[in-house]
Amino acid sequence: MAQHNKIYLNPTPVRIWHWLNALGIVTLTLTGIQIRWPEFMNIFGTYKAAISLHNTAGIVVSASYILWIIYYIFVTGTLLKIYVPTAEDLKHGLFRQAIFYFFFYFFGKPNPHTPTPDNKFNPLQKVTYLMIMLLLLPLVIFSGFLIMNIGPLREVIITMGGLKLLDGFHYLIACCFTAFLFIHVYLATLGHTPFAHTKSMWTGWEEEEEK
Amino acid sequence: MHYTRVVVPIFAVLLTVTSAGLFPADVAAQDRCLECHGSRSVISSAKGYLYIDPRKFAATTHSRIGCSSCHDSVSPRHPADGLRPSRASCKECHLPVVQEYLSGIHAEKAVCSDCHNPHTVRPAEVVSGADMNTQCARCHDNAKTIKSHAAWLPQAELHITALPCITCHTGSEQYVINLYIQTRHGDKPQHGYTPASYDELARLAPVGSPVARVVDANGDGTVSLEELKSFHRNATTRGMRLWGMMMPEKITHTYQILKNRWDCTFCHASGSRALQTSYVAIPDKDGRSIRMPVEKGAVLDLLYGTPDFYMMGTSRSSALSIIGLAIVACGAMVPLFHGTLRFLTRKNRKDTHHGAA
Repeated sequence: MAQHNKIYLNPTPVRIWHWLNALGIVTLTLTGIQIRWPEFMNIFGTYKAAISLHNTAGIVVSASYILWIIYYIFVTGTLLKIYVPTAEDLKHGLFRQAIFYFFFYFFGKPNPHTPTPDNKFNPLQKVTYLMIMLLLLPLVIFSGFLIMNIGPLREVIITMGGLKLLDGFHYLIACCFTAFLFIHVYLATLGHTPFAHTKSMWTGWEEEEEK
Repeated sequence: MHYTRVVVPIFAVLLTVTSAGLFPADVAAQDRCLECHGSRSVISSAKGYLYIDPRKFAATTHSRIGCSSCHDSVSPRHPADGLRPSRASCKECHLPVVQEYLSGIHAEKAVCSDCHNPHTVRPAEVVSGADMNTQCARCHDNAKTIKSHAAWLPQAELHITALPCITCHTGSEQYVINLYIQTRHGDKPQHGYTPASYDELARLAPVGSPVARVVDANGDGTVSLEELKSFHRNATTRGMRLWGMMMPEKITHTYQILKNRWDCTFCHASGSRALQTSYVAIPDKDGRSIRMPVEKGAVLDLLYGTPDFYMMGTSRSSALSIIGLAIVACGAMVPLFHGTLRFLTRKNRKDTHHGAA
């Protein structure tokens, strides 16, 4: 029987942000499906309801993103440490982690990365989350903001290539988020029990097996 | 009985012959009227409304029947006699429209000429949505209209700017799309567009061909989707674009709102039945417009490259949809493949479990 140590990995503000964000992203995905394919999908009754909910969820996700940034930059000051991969991460860590997931994992080898509050992401996670949180999410928020305000921001939109391009851009990033959602939820089941990581994101405490 | 059968057709033939003869004479007389009324000097000698802009008047259907058809009491001594000529009332020719209008909610608020100046009136297909809404805004303050619509309509300002009010406030069950050609003023996409003039389009038509050949390449009087695509492909390099405007199939004067207009997917759905019938309107030499039917189909998809045209749910790109779905499918494949291998190799991890989300 393995021994379990408990580490406090996810502080309360991070957990609140995570679940608020999760609800927001799922709502945005479902309403987004109805907005793009209304003749095939009617989840929320009317098109108008889907749009209103999409807009509201977009505002919630944007606001929670701003709080997330403020928290990591000004409260804990750990944004760079947690999210930016080191040279070693890029040189060897990424490859090591990928090989683990796609090869050694199936042979029962241990995960090369052990999370700590200051280094809770493995190199693969760092790169992925860096892309998502500091590139894709700001871009999807920005494009969504423009689409929500076509009237007053028409000039900006046309200068950027037009509404259709902007919409396509918004849609493709949203698809990346949806693709990530599948991977994210699946990887969350790779803890020492299928719900270990989910539990940790709910309680804050991660149970860690002793090697 | 037999008497009626004989007399009525004779009378009808006589009336036709008389009318046919009457119109050209009236049009000739019209030139005489415009000698004074077509000159701005009439404004200084009398009131402004006596001035008729000859170019605008020539483009109206009314110009075909001549001035005296409506002002039939002009005496040979006019204007020295000081008598004010008579004016026909609209219902003399447009009785069904007037009756429909009088039964509606507007009848007490405005008369025909408050919205339609008989000397400048143009067919609906060549009037831009903005022009139509200018008429409505004379009574319905734009800011208030946007505010009242914003209470329930997402992107209210955008809808009100982009659509003629009568797109929704009509008794017409069906819509058509009127496409017209616009010219860009300036070399950047954000510069304004105005409807292309006859001269601008005539330059693009093959030498000696009617202006309609700009779009209707084979000259058969209808525009195929292929012809429209071909024109649209070249339009950008010519500083032009196709622009579409939704219009009720039948112009009504009841201004009611039909139930289905509250459903956004009436317009915002690809292949919506309401958006399959289209026409292209092109200005002709005499200021009138040529209206050609377009092959049935989703013409709005053609406007894909137009920078500020996009209707959510309606004019989406199929190629982009497929790329996006492929991205999502790739994401979904990871759990599927990894999960399968994970299941098959579960015995190897009896004691070790480490992962990350």
